[in-house]
Amino acid sequence: MTTCDIVLVGVGGQGVMTLGDLLARAALAADVPLAWVPSKGMAQRGGSVKAEVRLGYGAAGPRVPAGGADLLLSMERSETLKGMPYLRSDGRTILYDHVWEPTGVQLGEDAYPSRDDVVASLASRCNEVVLLDPAERPRFGDAPVVANIYALGALAGSERLRRLIDSRILERTVVDRWPKAAEANLAAFQAGFIHGNQPIGRFLGDARNRSATKETGT
Amino acid sequence: MKTQILTGNEAVALGALRAGVKAVTGYPGTPSTGCLAHLLTLDLPDRHIEWSTNEKVAFEIAAGAAWAGHRAMCTMKMSGVNVAYDALISIAYSGTNGGLVIYVADDPGVSAGMPEQDTRGFALMSHLPMLEPASPAEAYELAQRAFELSETTRAPVFLRLTTAVALGHARVDVDAEVTPRDIAPILEKDIHRYTKAGSAICMEQHRASIERLDHASRAVRAMGLNHLHLDPEDGMLGVVAVGAVNAYLSEALALAGTEPPSGISTLHVATTVPFPWDEVCTLLGHCRTILVLEELEPHVERGLYVAAQQSSFKGRIVGKLDGTLSPIGEYGLQEVVKGLEACGFLQATAHDGGAQETATSPTREQPAAVLDRGDELCSAPRPITVCAGCPHRGTYLAIDAAIKTAGLSKDEVMVTGDIGCTILGMNPPFNLLWNEVSMGTSVSLAQGYVHGGLTTPVIATMGDSTFFHGGIPGLVNAIQHRVSLTLVVMDNGWTSMTGMQVNPGTDDVFQRDGRRIDIEAVLRGFGPDRLDVVDPYDLERMTSAIADGLSVSGVKVVLAQRECAIQAKRRGAVAGHTEVQVDKCVLCKRCLKITGCPALSVSPDGSSMTVDQSLCNGCGLCATFCPTGALTHSTEGAAT
Repeated sequence: MTTCDIVLVGVGGQGVMTLGDLLARAALAADVPLAWVPSKGMAQRGGSVKAEVRLGYGAAGPRVPAGGADLLLSMERSETLKGMPYLRSDGRTILYDHVWEPTGVQLGEDAYPSRDDVVASLASRCNEVVLLDPAERPRFGDAPVVANIYALGALAGSERLRRLIDSRILERTVVDRWPKAAEANLAAFQAGFIHGNQPIGRFLGDARNRSATKETGT
Repeated sequence: MKTQILTGNEAVALGALRAGVKAVTGYPGTPSTGCLAHLLTLDLPDRHIEWSTNEKVAFEIAAGAAWAGHRAMCTMKMSGVNVAYDALISIAYSGTNGGLVIYVADDPGVSAGMPEQDTRGFALMSHLPMLEPASPAEAYELAQRAFELSETTRAPVFLRLTTAVALGHARVDVDAEVTPRDIAPILEKDIHRYTKAGSAICMEQHRASIERLDHASRAVRAMGLNHLHLDPEDGMLGVVAVGAVNAYLSEALALAGTEPPSGISTLHVATTVPFPWDEVCTLLGHCRTILVLEELEPHVERGLYVAAQQSSFKGRIVGKLDGTLSPIGEYGLQEVVKGLEACGFLQATAHDGGAQETATSPTREQPAAVLDRGDELCSAPRPITVCAGCPHRGTYLAIDAAIKTAGLSKDEVMVTGDIGCTILGMNPPFNLLWNEVSMGTSVSLAQGYVHGGLTTPVIATMGDSTFFHGGIPGLVNAIQHRVSLTLVVMDNGWTSMTGMQVNPGTDDVFQRDGRRIDIEAVLRGFGPDRLDVVDPYDLERMTSAIADGLSVSGVKVVLAQRECAIQAKRRGAVAGHTEVQVDKCVLCKRCLKITGCPALSVSPDGSSMTVDQSLCNGCGLCATFCPTGALTHSTEGAAT
């Protein structure tokens, strides 16, 4: 069976763990073997969080190896850097470019990376980057769509994931999870799905002079 | 049967229900908490489930239920075994009647603080069998086998998960629960078995405990818990993998396109104790090189050296003792690949990019051997701090102010810390606490500093659950021996850091069948020289209570009482309302610098500070420090 390794990073309170849970539920519905593990340490709201999701393995532990992630979904700009070592050179990144400055940054004591720096770094690390700008998030009713579901929609269109889980199954999982918010979540998911098909760049061949890699397989 | 997504913790809980467990006790601790926490979400009328005062109490209760003939389990993190062990070794000597399972979660890689202790050492020390599942599905299965093994051998049995298995989610096929046995309790009076009075009794029990482990060795073999796969050809390499590492071994072999492995024999170890002698000796007789993959201490590897000596094995053993692998951290695919490479396997195939193509796995670049964290250096640091509205913030700021009031600096006043959320005062912006050792240590350690000749005041800090768990003996000692110190008990009514569990001080409303113990009455009963009960949101009173304590001798206790802000907020209870008068804010950021409150930030347009009302609990501490009166606080609309 094809496999797909996904790393999700962000900050406590952004719904990163919820995304891990939704991917697992969708995998169960699609009858795809799954293992996933949340890492939040002692983080309350505002601390670093990570979820590692592995799909399609007959037997595998839940930790994604370095350089093993087909997909990286980051919900926060600076935290993206923590997910980056996991990326495969032929991997794909969904960056929801939210900025959540820790206190040290607000006080001018610590540095915070720029969007350009993060995107440049991603370009040297993986094959494709989808940038979702929080300011340009589409609206549903009076408010912008839910950020994590929007980002999940963008992830759902990824070729490697679609081989295992059809995006419609993932969409159905989101709808079933919160029946009362079905419409709002559907709007978020679908908007993300459309944006996910518009990567800002493909980076075949990179700064570290690795050989160009193409997605292969069935 | 139903297929569910479960964590290892939940799988242990459901496995125990399937085994007909009657009583489950525990003390919260990451990564084990989710097991008992899950049971408390279920409706289980025939069973007793509780968070106990500490792990020793939890174990003793489970042991009593098991001596009475029922199946019982206690749950804890690895540090908890240290607390429970005093009782545990004694009951290991006596043996059990009903199945008695100690579920412990070890934390290689340290996801949540505390030493990277390998609890298999305790199983070795107490001659108790220990089952080590590799996945949530195995955890469900082995939880049931653990009860059977305990009753077959009459030994208490450890069930040990590691972080990735305990917190990891996977599919598990779950069968229906089994109702606990309807039996009359066993009332057996036998001092030779149930007491430790005299050398004859103790040595006889010691002998019996070793015999029980021998029995377990035969039972484990009969149950087929350790899986030996011998390559049909005379084996080049034998790989021994313990517990969680087995999942990554399967993956590494699949990556190399050699599943089932050719030229490789494997031994999947689920019991370091009892040591799988027969399987190991067979493997040694079949292979020229043996690779041992186990997280933390080389317990199985040492056993292999003994077996190798006894069976005149002349080959090579690769693992930690030859320096190939590390005893530190969690193992993943990288460590397995490193081990296989050290044995000369994988080099010519997968890792150099020449992976063999198979029908099911397209050629893919293999993962790197080492996690290159170069980029992480550029990410903004996020030190853990207390939540918005946390009452501990008031306590830290008051201790800081009291030290200054006493004419001292923070660098000359020892403030001992303790386990739980209360330790977060070690981080910025407080930088207040000097140490963290074990549950309740702060108040005893402080006495040592006094006897060690410290002439400046000594302050100890601990939370309410920590006080009940292990802090009481230390405080009693300080009072008895008239040691001058100030203890601040930070009572927020919950065991918070592990996810809000009920403790003896939690309000009656949240106690299931239990009742609240009045912590103030407990403290008063010990007769400290001074006891102040203060709301930590009241910075002025809090500061003066601590400062007064620092100025006189004797044991002074300050009970800082205010419910955990997270729990209060969940119920809609807020202390007041804080907001920014934008025109008055000069953006000096003093509020943020001093309190570090996550509800405070610079507004998006950069013109002033702003308060995130979805986080703010209206404690008003930040307003205290605003030099221009831009931050205003009112207690109007406060609700409890």
